[in-house]
Amino acid sequence: MTADRTATFADATEADIRAAFDAENYVAGDEISTTVSLALRLGKPLLVEGEPGAGKTELAKVLAGGFDADLIRLQCYEGLTAESALYEWNYTKQLLAVQAASGPGSGALGTGDRTENDPERAGDSVFAEEYLLERPLLRALRDDGPRVLLIDEVDRADEAFEALLLEVLSDFQVTVPELGTVQATTPPVVVITSNRTRGLSDALKRRCLYLHVSPPSLEKERAILERKVPELDGRVAAELCGMASRLREEPLLKPPGAAETIDWARAVAALRHDGVDGSIDRDEIRNTLGCLLKEVEDIERVDDDLLVTLLDAAETARAEAD
Amino acid sequence: MADEPRDDEFGIPGDGPATERIGPFEANGSGVPDFVAARDHVRDELVRFVRALRRAGADVPANAATTAARALVVVGFDDRDRVRTALQACLVTDRADRTTFDDLFDEFWRRLTAGLDSGGPAERADDGPDGGFAPLDASPASENAEETEVSAEENDETEDTGSGRERWDHGAVVGRGENAADNEEATTASYSPSGRRTSVSVPGIANAKLDETFRELTGALAELAGRRWGRGDDTPDVRRALRASVGTGGTVVDVPERERRRTAVQACLLVDVSRSVLDVLDRSFLIGFLRRATAEWRDVRVFFFDEDLREVTESFDARSSQAALDALDRGEAEWGGGTKIGESLAQLRTSSPEAVSRESAVFVLSDGLEMDDVDTLEREAAQLSRRAGAVFWLNPLAASREYEPTARGMAAALPYVDGLFAFAGPDDLAEIARQLDRRGQHGRIGYEYDPRRTESNQHSTIHPTS
Repeated sequence: MTADRTATFADATEADIRAAFDAENYVAGDEISTTVSLALRLGKPLLVEGEPGAGKTELAKVLAGGFDADLIRLQCYEGLTAESALYEWNYTKQLLAVQAASGPGSGALGTGDRTENDPERAGDSVFAEEYLLERPLLRALRDDGPRVLLIDEVDRADEAFEALLLEVLSDFQVTVPELGTVQATTPPVVVITSNRTRGLSDALKRRCLYLHVSPPSLEKERAILERKVPELDGRVAAELCGMASRLREEPLLKPPGAAETIDWARAVAALRHDGVDGSIDRDEIRNTLGCLLKEVEDIERVDDDLLVTLLDAAETARAEAD
Repeated sequence: MADEPRDDEFGIPGDGPATERIGPFEANGSGVPDFVAARDHVRDELVRFVRALRRAGADVPANAATTAARALVVVGFDDRDRVRTALQACLVTDRADRTTFDDLFDEFWRRLTAGLDSGGPAERADDGPDGGFAPLDASPASENAEETEVSAEENDETEDTGSGRERWDHGAVVGRGENAADNEEATTASYSPSGRRTSVSVPGIANAKLDETFRELTGALAELAGRRWGRGDDTPDVRRALRASVGTGGTVVDVPERERRRTAVQACLLVDVSRSVLDVLDRSFLIGFLRRATAEWRDVRVFFFDEDLREVTESFDARSSQAALDALDRGEAEWGGGTKIGESLAQLRTSSPEAVSRESAVFVLSDGLEMDDVDTLEREAAQLSRRAGAVFWLNPLAASREYEPTARGMAAALPYVDGLFAFAGPDDLAEIARQLDRRGQHGRIGYEYDPRRTESNQHSTIHPTS
């Protein structure tokens, strides 16, 4: 898979993608592998939406890991600017260079007179490659090897930033005024994630394939726990999955995603003595519920009645696992 | 990868090799499969599918059909689920549209595979311009008034037996307001599907708590810049900069910035005045809410609707509540007709498009009992959701702890609503304000997050009556 790394992504079949996911312990349904395969074959960015904790970011990570590619991550936030995402000039280094050039016995930029008389040359010298600080987007365009560009939680960034992405996503190029247009020789695989805290622009959607990652089914979540938390007894893992699945039916402020279930399973496994694989009990649930639910109102919602319901769900899941 | 599908790239559904196929693949009579016919058929069906999706209100990007065609070339046609997944990735850009996609995909697949099979695309007797993509459960348009009446009667029966069960089981509660506190038994509504019009008359209007809760709601909703200045980054605050420079001998060290405080609200209030709503709602509370909104919010339009829509904003400019009611009476505003929510929303869109903008908070005050075509309501709710800053549905029935939005109209509109809230008294306004304040207009808000629903000691008793 790594012999011709530049061709790997474009030639990847669904079987290759499943194998890559498998190698990275990422449990994905056919819908995910088909859509990812399509995005690679068509060379389109993939917009992944879904509840927090559903495995959106993880998808990009395992894609990079499974294909032995570099992962370049741009974490979006409110106020993210083009400078932070694309490139900056190293002002300190530029200043030092100019001072050195204008000082007595200067070397790199010549004498002060020379700089003064030839400002164009001075400008060239401080806006050269060596003073450029690459940020994730520019790096993703200029690198040559196989790489996955993860633009994480794009809905957190301002709409103006979305506009900046459009040129990058459609033509895989960006213009640096001092250097000219930088175009990717081999476009990176782009994965954009969104938690749907706000609607994205039509222009952005138009450039992407769309994938909604739903919370995992009971069976899928069990498979995830088997992979990610092998130290936990399989029947106990089934119980946890049954309860997490039942909890998602409640109108929670922050429904648990697969990531929270994994944390919960790890916590339960850590608190259990070696070899203990009995059914989970109320105290165990109460003591570890904070791994699963992250809002105080959600935790308060788990009263005695709901606890009984959860234990019933756990029992059913355990019986099915047996 | 070529942009256009090549003829030889199409996979063919079925069991045998391609050369043995019939239908478009033998159209040239020479034994050579007619790939051009197959390609044209696939392209036509794809375009038809995309058009149907758009007509159903799905947000399909302009270039989606081209991307979808390329995707079909990649995945072929031999696996229905792969085709579904591929087209979903290309044509759907919003999770809310997936249901529409699923509804229409079956028909697309039937037509696509039929066209690639022996008999060619199977036309249905009732195929319209878009073939069989009309929703399968859509009722044909009524040709005359008699049919409409029959349809209304059928809907009436449906409400009584189907979604009507929800109403008797969970709905029709006056709520937790002062009246409910005074009387342990809550009043219930007698539901009239078509309703009859009555003149406006309202008992004494007194809602001491309304002032306070309304202020909270205003604070939570305020998105527009008001007149007062606060700290921000819009413009330099020269006065503060000069004042600060006194301490530095006249040198301006820092230029503070300021911006208008966001204290203003722009809103559109759509009030369902059908009998089913008014029988369960404290009318004085309703009038008080509407009067405060028109008086205190910056830009407010108020519409009443039942079987049609009419603007009544000017009536609420009157000096007192009673004057507002008198004004309504004089304006022949009448209460209590049947409800055509979708039709009324369509009327708002066409006759007063300027009433809703991306800065508006739209409040639909209704029990969601649609007496007309639910598809229209769904389509109009989707449109409204796209045009408005936020859409809140205030439902008097949601004051009940057991309430669930299972009535057809309410269920259809719910996906396009930012929050469905109870609306029975000032406490409900306070709860709306609390949730908006904490989680924003597009956060996890709504009746299901109302902590009062889980409290067992504050609920009214439900006594269904007919």
